[in-house]
Amino acid sequence: MTQYLDKAPTAGRRSRKAADPAAVKVVEVLIVGAGFAGLGSAIQLRKAGITDIAIVERGTEVGGTWRDNQYPGAACDIPSNLYSFSFAQNPAWTRGYSGSREILEYIRGLARDNALLPLIKFEHNVEALRFDGGEGVWTVTLTGREPIKARSVVMAQGPLSNAGFPNMRGIESFAGKKIHSARWDHSYDFSGKRVAVIGTGASAVQIIPELVKVADKVKVFQRTPGWVLPRLDFASPAWTKALFAKLPVSQTAVREAMYWIHESMALGMIWNTPMTRALEILGTRFRNAQVKDAWLRRQLTPDFKIGCKRVLMTNDYYPALQKPNCELISWPIANISEKGIRSVEGLEHQVDCIVFATGFEVSKNGTPFPVHGLGGRDLNAEWSGGAQAYKSVQVSGYPNLYFTFGPNSGPGHNSALVYMESQIDYIVRSIGKVARDKLKYIDIRADAQKTYNEGIQKRLAKTNWNSGCKSWYLSADGFNSTMYPGFATQFARQMADFRERDYRLV
Amino acid sequence: MQLDTEKMLAKIKNSQWALADIDWDAPGRELVTEDPELYPKLKIFMADLMWIEHVGARAFAAMAKKAPDDTLAEIYRYFHAEEQRHANVEMALMKRWGMLEGDDDNPILPEPNINLRLVIDWLDTYSDEMPLEVLGSVIPSLEIALDGALCKFLLDTVQDPVCHAAFEKINEDEARHLGVGFHVLEVMGHGKLHQLLVKAAGNLLNPKLIIGIAAYLPLLNRMRDNLVKLGLKEERLYEAMNKYKRIGGRTEQGRRNPWFQIISHQSAMVVNRKSLYHLPVDALVRLTDYYPRSWLKTTPTWVKGLTWKTAA
Repeated sequence: MTQYLDKAPTAGRRSRKAADPAAVKVVEVLIVGAGFAGLGSAIQLRKAGITDIAIVERGTEVGGTWRDNQYPGAACDIPSNLYSFSFAQNPAWTRGYSGSREILEYIRGLARDNALLPLIKFEHNVEALRFDGGEGVWTVTLTGREPIKARSVVMAQGPLSNAGFPNMRGIESFAGKKIHSARWDHSYDFSGKRVAVIGTGASAVQIIPELVKVADKVKVFQRTPGWVLPRLDFASPAWTKALFAKLPVSQTAVREAMYWIHESMALGMIWNTPMTRALEILGTRFRNAQVKDAWLRRQLTPDFKIGCKRVLMTNDYYPALQKPNCELISWPIANISEKGIRSVEGLEHQVDCIVFATGFEVSKNGTPFPVHGLGGRDLNAEWSGGAQAYKSVQVSGYPNLYFTFGPNSGPGHNSALVYMESQIDYIVRSIGKVARDKLKYIDIRADAQKTYNEGIQKRLAKTNWNSGCKSWYLSADGFNSTMYPGFATQFARQMADFRERDYRLV
Repeated sequence: MQLDTEKMLAKIKNSQWALADIDWDAPGRELVTEDPELYPKLKIFMADLMWIEHVGARAFAAMAKKAPDDTLAEIYRYFHAEEQRHANVEMALMKRWGMLEGDDDNPILPEPNINLRLVIDWLDTYSDEMPLEVLGSVIPSLEIALDGALCKFLLDTVQDPVCHAAFEKINEDEARHLGVGFHVLEVMGHGKLHQLLVKAAGNLLNPKLIIGIAAYLPLLNRMRDNLVKLGLKEERLYEAMNKYKRIGGRTEQGRRNPWFQIISHQSAMVVNRKSLYHLPVDALVRLTDYYPRSWLKTTPTWVKGLTWKTAA
């Protein structure tokens, strides 16, 4: 890895003298994004005594991906008791798997109950980050606003925050309504409409059953069928809510049990083991039980190992597809026309509205905005061959910069929030070290990052994700910079180990 | 020369067309409907042609599952849909010529003959389990018969300009299907000869394949008889089979593919009336006439996907 040097001398720590009152204020920590990761980081930083925090948020309210994903049927596919912070449990979850509105309410509650709202600068869109090695300060450029200077920056903008219409032939010619699942238009009335849904991933399988209830006709365009497993969803009984409220330890115990059940899933989802086969048998039996027609079943049968792509947890997707007003179309799409979608078997499927459930632009090979580190080095350029970081949170040459959901921190079997908590704890320790020791900066050593990534890629080679299917986990050339190849427990253990010797402390 | 499958896939994606691109109300319909001699023969021919395209489509669907790489699998997914498009076009031509039973909005699909039904049953049950070597070698022979004999015969016989416009598009698709088909045929001739032979022998002993062959051979003979009755010159079929032999055998790899050799010889026998091959196969054709319809499976839903409509 190229070693870049900042022009200013790197020796010497921050002056302990009082700050010059005329100088531009340097905030101790700036957090980008007010979703789960951003708010969680702020809460934990405060608990550690770091209070000089600012949060910049491009939207007008908190919630991140759960604010944006409010399509009908939107819900989490991890149980709510596990898809929440362990330090902010919610005894009042109404369902086993809560809907996006309830999750958004939870996030709003986090901001409200922890008095985070005064820290948040809404409608502040970050355009670029640049590090000054001499000062040990990040300059955060904002759209149409004065830049902010910060000692440390936490990138909590989320991996699933950028959504756009896919680059499909003729998309601009469609005269009807276009809706992206992550930018739902609640003012559009689907009743009596002919609707096409493009995509059959995690969002689509939640949207389709809801659309089938109101639309005149729903045509589902599928490219690759995914593995579908039943979801044990239920309304939370009043007695559990009361118990969890009175005796929080009971909810912690439930959470622990769920955690270990999900951990055991790693054995089947991440690696190809007899449990993988067992999960596939479960998926096959579920499909056979829910789908009567043999040809439809064939169309819905995945041709990759379970776990290679995100497993879809839903009980009502297959039944919805078989409703009289729903049709699965597995022909490839030739192009989008003025009136609808033309598929390769020669038909024009005329519709009033197209729902693009085509996913997000996950940053695998780049950053959402330019990030310049020591000596002006450009993170986008460095990541062009595949993103790499140290333990997913830091990148060599970009001191005092922290990632949540950075490279290789994605879970395939457990709650993303479990991983996030470990990352936040690590970030708090690192930022605490800088503050406590009055450091200019802390920078991970290039060799430590290299060794870490060699290990990760070696382990990834043996996982189901790298077993040959195409998924958003992989870049176009098959590099996996998304997923963590191990148990959540392993990840947590790795994040609990802060090795000072792996860093340059300046 | 090896085919660049990535470039071929891009070409396929860039060459898409839809039924709506054809003006189905253009003049010329009467050139068929007012020809009393041609009309009844053409009605049978078109139904057979439509079913063959449809059966070919299902074979491509099976091949997509067996393709050795993602690009070829995607190509086969396109070919599956394109063959369906051809069958849809042929149904739309039948609709234009008033050859479909039932009312205008709900025309009834022509009934496939018993041999087609048996092949449909077999494809529905076993084709996904067949190795690519088998389907990948049979399909080019069927495609070349379609392209070289049946379609040419149709265009020589029918003067309706809409039919010509439609088949111009179909033939362009078929040329790409043949290009990929012969490429795969050659690729499957790579490897040690004795291993290829042992593998082919093993496949030939597979009871599921034996059932498939028993369904397929009488279908070919019945179709040949039907076509000859309609006025197709047997030389046309002979030329088409020679073309298969010539192109498939142009490289050493192609010739080393045991399935290419088996199909070349079998095709030569199909078009040679004097071959002893016809004794058992024609007997099978007659026997299948007595095949109890109740033994057939329920018509699979993929068969019901055919449509003459340009929009849905």
